[in-house]
Amino acid sequence: MSRPTARKAAPKGEYIETDSGNKVSRRSAITGTANITLGGRTVIMAEVQLRGDLHSTRVVPSSTGKDVTPTAISIGRCTVISTGSVIRPPYRISRGQIHYYPLKIGDNVFVGPNCTISAIQIASHVHIGANTVIGPFAMIKENVKILENTVVPANMIITAGSVVGGRPARVVGEVGEGWGVGSTGGVGVGGGGEKNWVEGGDLRELVRSIK
Amino acid sequence: MAQPFPYTYYACDCYESRFQSPLAKRNSRAPAEDEEERTFDPSNPRSNYSLFPLEHLLYCEDCRQIRCPRCVVEETLNWFCPSCLFEVPSSVVKSDGNRCTRNCYNCPVCTAPMTVSSLEDPADPSPSGGPYILSCPYCHWSTEEIGIEFEKPTGITGQLAKIANGGKPMQTQKERDKERERRKEAERARRQDRLTGSGDEPPQSNTGSPPHDDVFASLSSFYKSQLAAQTPSNPFSHDVSFTSPSSFSRIMNLYSNPKKQKRDKPTPMREAASALEGLTLHDPTVDTATIERLKTCGWSSTLSSTQQLAQPPGAHFTSSLRPIATLLHTKRGKRCATCRHILSKPESKITSTRYKIKLLALNHIPRLSLRYLSPLPITPNHPVPQTPNPANFSYDNITSGLPIHFLLHLSNPLFDPIRVTLATPSTTPGKIASAVTILCPQFDVGANTDVWDDALGVDPPRSGSVTSASDGQIEAGKVWDRGRNWTSVVIEIVPGFKKSVTSGWKVPGAGGERERGEGSAEQGDDLDEDDDVLEIPIFVRIEFETDVLGEERGEERGGAKEGLKEKREEAFWTVVGVGRIAG
Repeated sequence: MSRPTARKAAPKGEYIETDSGNKVSRRSAITGTANITLGGRTVIMAEVQLRGDLHSTRVVPSSTGKDVTPTAISIGRCTVISTGSVIRPPYRISRGQIHYYPLKIGDNVFVGPNCTISAIQIASHVHIGANTVIGPFAMIKENVKILENTVVPANMIITAGSVVGGRPARVVGEVGEGWGVGSTGGVGVGGGGEKNWVEGGDLRELVRSIK
Repeated sequence: MAQPFPYTYYACDCYESRFQSPLAKRNSRAPAEDEEERTFDPSNPRSNYSLFPLEHLLYCEDCRQIRCPRCVVEETLNWFCPSCLFEVPSSVVKSDGNRCTRNCYNCPVCTAPMTVSSLEDPADPSPSGGPYILSCPYCHWSTEEIGIEFEKPTGITGQLAKIANGGKPMQTQKERDKERERRKEAERARRQDRLTGSGDEPPQSNTGSPPHDDVFASLSSFYKSQLAAQTPSNPFSHDVSFTSPSSFSRIMNLYSNPKKQKRDKPTPMREAASALEGLTLHDPTVDTATIERLKTCGWSSTLSSTQQLAQPPGAHFTSSLRPIATLLHTKRGKRCATCRHILSKPESKITSTRYKIKLLALNHIPRLSLRYLSPLPITPNHPVPQTPNPANFSYDNITSGLPIHFLLHLSNPLFDPIRVTLATPSTTPGKIASAVTILCPQFDVGANTDVWDDALGVDPPRSGSVTSASDGQIEAGKVWDRGRNWTSVVIEIVPGFKKSVTSGWKVPGAGGERERGEGSAEQGDDLDEDDDVLEIPIFVRIEFETDVLGEERGEERGGAKEGLKEKREEAFWTVVGVGRIAG
């Protein structure tokens, strides 16, 4: 389980680090922690809101008979949620009732500062620029770059490898074949204080550098 | 795409090598040499088309050259709708066009994808759950505004083809084609009748102008019939029959003197003469109706030019908007345009993002990056921890005239150590001339060996190199720092001045010193957009020894030994965007 541990903050730092390496800022606003899963080595920066309380209220018949806590937000590994971003699951009104749907974010996703995200799914290796709004039930596939100040309308599906921007968002280009290649694998870029992570690449180094 | 400072672009010389070198060869020898000597000018308008970020470049291992998006050949692997992710076979793309024929539509006002929503009255539920509309979640435009409602939530394209704006039923394309054929037949029969003298019914006048698609279909079929009547039966086939007089004369023309024989003039083609053939007569009442409508509804009811472009021709008002079917996407493989080898090939499955083949320039070309180096204290007695503070430095606001130091970082993706030679013009080309000095233009970069070597310190002479200026002193001829497969050198830049400095005074040692005529100084005053961007062209040449490739060695297996090394070199221009000069 990757919930932030409830122990008292003995060493005063910006981040609380969990056993699986998640770094959660003390100044983040997280509600409904039971409904949030963090994959490990994920960073939640200051003033980030994670609305885990907005979980699915539908009765799920469970096979084991035990009461399963519904997941509202699940975030993968090495994902960075920058300051001031709001992650809230999307909802749909059906027969006069509000139903929330779980929001999934993949691995190595970078969410820039001051974003509002209500997508249904964000796949891995996605880079989201600052001040972006992602509408309810939008689906973002792998290797997508969302430029700054973009508004992705509701229900939009962004195919893998696109660059989107504008209000409303439209596909403005494609990421190159080398998207996300660079920091790990055979090509070592790091060292010497160099920025050793690339957009869409493995964010492990970035996560490590955040203290 | 605009990138934040500092960035590095790599120049692909495909344009020069393909189009300029033959020209240079044709001219005298001197210009060809001049071409070689020429420095790359990033402010040249043409440079925009040859500069790419490293991620967008591929590398052809056979040509041993960088391949940019301009010098690759793309081949479409499959077509799919980006919205519903259904693959569309290429035969359907050919017949139905490159748009989704399912339920995917974009808003004609704002281009956001539209959703099907139900207008069902909860008090009076209908068995189908309808009626349904297409609505835009972004700008709240819906097909209700053009009076279109659907019975079913699926098969929108089929339903939309049958409904005109306002909810009136409309003939589909097929029905219209059939109708036109029928009318043509009727017309022919009537003409026959007229010739024989019987039947004098007047042609029924069609109210309103026919839809654009209809006119296009009539015109295209008319022109096709005209072309068929004009050209001999099969002029390009190989089995030329000498019995046909036209092909016989064509062959005779081929073998006889073309000057003597006068080409017979082609008989002029007839233009469309009736509405059935696609003739539309200008109707002045339409214009007056349009003007009247503008008077009553105002500017807000008209379409913007971008909206008009996405609509069928002739749409002027918001009432004539139609939802736009989503354009299909493609998955494409790339081949080298020169040797036809595959450079990148994605897996054909739409959901897969993996590549079967991907030859990246990233894996063959050293990566250059620039970073601000904070000024260090001159006194070496107080060794300040060299932590450059990039937070205080703004790349968008570089002060003119003061020398600034940057670290040029070069990392090697190859598995062999490389020797790098950097070259840059002493002053940057462009309107603002800045002085650039690379303090150590020639150095070695280690091989891209196992990452653990670095961590475990297997290779001590590399990490603690004698030549590295690890004491924090900026010294010419010495590299700043080096690691396993990277080396950084110091580059000194004296940014030029935005305002013309030629008239009164000169900056000692700075780029503003460059001699300019009075005329060019005047030109320098009016800076265009982005003229204040400080971009440095850097020529990179790398030399290395590598194992001869296995297949090449196989050819000469007899004489060659294992571990045969060959010397190779690469050379290319890069442009490093340092920042924006504040002035």
